Amino acid sequence: MKLISRLFASLILLFMLAPLLVVLPLSFSAGPSMTLPIPGLSLRWYQDFFTGARWLLAARNSLIVGTLTTLVATSLGTLAAIGIAIGAPRARLLLAALCLPVVVPSVIAALAIYLAFIRVGLTNSLAGLVLAHSVLGLPYVVLTVLAGTKQFDLGLLRAAASLGASRFIILRRILLPLLAPAIGAGALFAFAISFDELIVALFIAGPEQFTLPRQMLASTREFLSPTLAAAAVLVSLVSLALLGGFALLQRRR
Amino acid sequence: MFRKLVLIACLVATPALARDLTVVAGGGGFQDNARKHLFQGFAQATGQKVVDDIYDGEQAKIAAMVKNHDVTWDVVMVEAPEMVRGCEDGLFEKMDWSIVDKAKFIPNGTATCGAGAVGWGVTVFYDTKRIANGPTTYAQLWDTKTWPGKRLLRNGAKMTLEIALLADGVPAADVYKVLATPAGQDRAFAKLDAIKPNLVWWKSGAQPLQLVGSGDVAFAVGYVGRTAKAAQDGAAYPLLWQTMLFSFDFWTVVKGSPNVTQAMKLVNYMTDAAPLRALAQDWAVSPATTAVAQDPAIRAKNKAMVAEHAADGLFIDTEFWVQYGDDLERRFAAWVAR
Amino acid sequence: MTPRKPVARLGLLLTLPALLLVAFALLLPLGLNLATAVRDPELAATLPRSAALLRQWDGIGLPEDAAFATLAEELHTALEDQRIGSLIARLNFERAGMRTLLLRTARAMPAAPASMALPALDPQWGDPATWHILRRASLGITPLYLLRALDLDLAADGAIIAQPAGQGVFLNLFARSFAIAVVVTGLCVLIGYPVAHAIAGLSPGWGRAAMALVLVPFWISILVRTTAWFILLQHDGPINAALLAFGLIDAPAQLMFTRFAVLLAMVHVLLPFIILPLVGVMRRIDRGLLRAAASLGAPAWRRFAFVYLPLTLPGVGAGALIVFMMAIGFYITPALLGGATDQMVSAAIADYVNGSLNWGMASALSVWLLVGCALIVSAAYYLAPSRR
Repeated sequence: MKLISRLFASLILLFMLAPLLVVLPLSFSAGPSMTLPIPGLSLRWYQDFFTGARWLLAARNSLIVGTLTTLVATSLGTLAAIGIAIGAPRARLLLAALCLPVVVPSVIAALAIYLAFIRVGLTNSLAGLVLAHSVLGLPYVVLTVLAGTKQFDLGLLRAAASLGASRFIILRRILLPLLAPAIGAGALFAFAISFDELIVALFIAGPEQFTLPRQMLASTREFLSPTLAAAAVLVSLVSLALLGGFALLQRRR
Repeated sequence: MFRKLVLIACLVATPALARDLTVVAGGGGFQDNARKHLFQGFAQATGQKVVDDIYDGEQAKIAAMVKNHDVTWDVVMVEAPEMVRGCEDGLFEKMDWSIVDKAKFIPNGTATCGAGAVGWGVTVFYDTKRIANGPTTYAQLWDTKTWPGKRLLRNGAKMTLEIALLADGVPAADVYKVLATPAGQDRAFAKLDAIKPNLVWWKSGAQPLQLVGSGDVAFAVGYVGRTAKAAQDGAAYPLLWQTMLFSFDFWTVVKGSPNVTQAMKLVNYMTDAAPLRALAQDWAVSPATTAVAQDPAIRAKNKAMVAEHAADGLFIDTEFWVQYGDDLERRFAAWVAR
Repeated sequence: MTPRKPVARLGLLLTLPALLLVAFALLLPLGLNLATAVRDPELAATLPRSAALLRQWDGIGLPEDAAFATLAEELHTALEDQRIGSLIARLNFERAGMRTLLLRTARAMPAAPASMALPALDPQWGDPATWHILRRASLGITPLYLLRALDLDLAADGAIIAQPAGQGVFLNLFARSFAIAVVVTGLCVLIGYPVAHAIAGLSPGWGRAAMALVLVPFWISILVRTTAWFILLQHDGPINAALLAFGLIDAPAQLMFTRFAVLLAMVHVLLPFIILPLVGVMRRIDRGLLRAAASLGAPAWRRFAFVYLPLTLPGVGAGALIVFMMAIGFYITPALLGGATDQMVSAAIADYVNGSLNWGMASALSVWLLVGCALIVSAAYYLAPSRR
């Protein structure tokens, strides 16, 4: 029984990884279409990606938006998590409000954000996209940092206060260093959310905020060349790097 | 650290500064060549930077821009009925005929809000390497017994309903007369119902070539310019001119554009004989500029010019779609999702 | 122990910026979304004086002559100023043919028309139904979008009626989205449960490795995974090639643009979302309970059915809820891999925004979708055997 269930589990795990495992060799295919077995190995699709103006622009935009989003979401989320941890009133309600973006289906959130931002001129703008992505990534930062605060005794803070340390010192010298791995993990999560986000960008991003996901979507409609596979592999590598960093930081706690 | 944050905050909060002149069309080989000869030609001639973008004809994007006074496109290539409708709806500026020379266009090549750009058409095509002898008329396209497989049509009532009536035996000259009646419209939808399970829909102009090429559809109705170019490059696609539906596209200037004068100048340049002749060297374009459209040298070189085969095809009636477009597109959208 | 007041205040202060962000970028927009579903500004904005007169009209018979004259004049002006577009779109949405009528009228009217010029131009102007439509549109709010989103309509007298049989499309769409989400959730639970159970039973080293294998697809974006399937399911793609090679089919199968493709890709994307929480729940089950049951003589299947399963149900419920909510909001996967009859509600919403610029319909559909999701979440919350 155990063997069967383990076999089944292995098959399913393989199923979950299979598409990505298949796309990898296709991205190195020397032929123009995506069929297996591949006729030969070649780096031309990666070359296409790095010399293609649209791909590079999209990658650059994704990195810019992701970085700014991370800054905003991480700073606000960390403060919020600390606030809840040290005893803000109605913590449950606050947490529910902060986690709202996770509960709302993405297309509804995207529509709502679009209708609101268009009235204040925030569509087609970097600021608007960063704000939207930040609100989407905020819950993940809050939850990660909040989990981090559960890892040590908050009594430490009270002890420091009773010894005369000002709140600012407590924050800078004690709390932040203790929370650093959790904050780092939350930041990586926020970056990942922004880097992979498509629906909201589809609604509110202008031509100058064309991100990688949008470019990938556009290329499924244009000529389907293995450049798309190369892009998928590169994006996955970024995600895996983020995952690796996240796991490392989680373990350090 | 703090200073960096302030700097970033300032950068992010800066409103959009004056932007480059932006021209938008439907992409594909036409746009790649237009970029070289028309857009960058203008840029080189005047020193004004020109940026281009691609869209699938969604008028909603333009409407949203105009409605919210956030116009990021200056010159847009629009299909004839959409140009007329957009003019009525206040989406496009009235053409400035003091900048654009009205006299150089073919008859019906100008409108209140548009200057004639190029002709375009769609035809049936398929891969003869997979299917040796395919359908040559729309009636035959409906024959799923002799020719099984998926058929790819453009997602929309325009052209699809005419094709349905043509397949049902309505002579080309009577198509719009029939389609203007409720009975005729029901007839078209009933005909489409007959092969609905075999129908697939495209939105972007590159999809027909992509899906016929990959074998995911057996037959497609796609832009003949791209099909001809693919055939020239070696693909085994037949050019079935007798199945052509064609019309003209117009250059328009979006209402509320901050670069109206430059946009008009760009339109004037793009419809001048010299740049169009240069374009005709690389792409079988069917321009609305008389001097180039009737130039015998160009007509001899570009066998795939839409204008050359106008007699075989069906001209998509602009006025009909201006009047009935709204209702028919809505009925089609409901029908296709069922 | 309750925190001291200054600390509580500080805590609240620290959460404030984040709360402001959520309020500004999500809560307010959601409220605006609700408002947009019922707002009806076009007629009042385009024909202000006519709107005022229409509001004063009591609705019996036809309005007074002044209304005819004012309407004709304002239509003419609106056309001249190129402002007439949004009004035409709004009224044509309510009744087909209004576009033609209004444009013809606007074009035909001179700058200062006589009051009886309108009915002379077109008999529809002598029909009270036309005027009722205009009057309803001058009120500023309308239930039209919300009703249409449920395949209902407003009759001439304002009563709520059902749409004619062939016209309704949204109930079908909602039903289909719901059905797909349910099927996907069911499949994820059926497949994910044994996998989570197997992983939870592994030793720590292997368990971590297995979890890593689950986390990898979880972190890789949905778009990348959907694109991977898009590549795999091509007519000449790897899957067909493999099926042909193994002799399972004679000719390449039609995999793209099918319901099968949509379900396959959605299950693939959503499996990690149920496996991850389930593994957590399963790992925390006290093995002592199972041992106790065994010592009392319960056979394996009874131990599973009456001890293990009930203990894992909260995890299953939570995971299933997450999967369902994500599935029902899916847009990209059905759009890329499905045919025209596989599209879900989200595609219609996106289409109304990016395609036909009908914010009223887009908002109305999203309102009903949100209501449906809220109902399901509430039902799940109340049906849950124990509340945390």
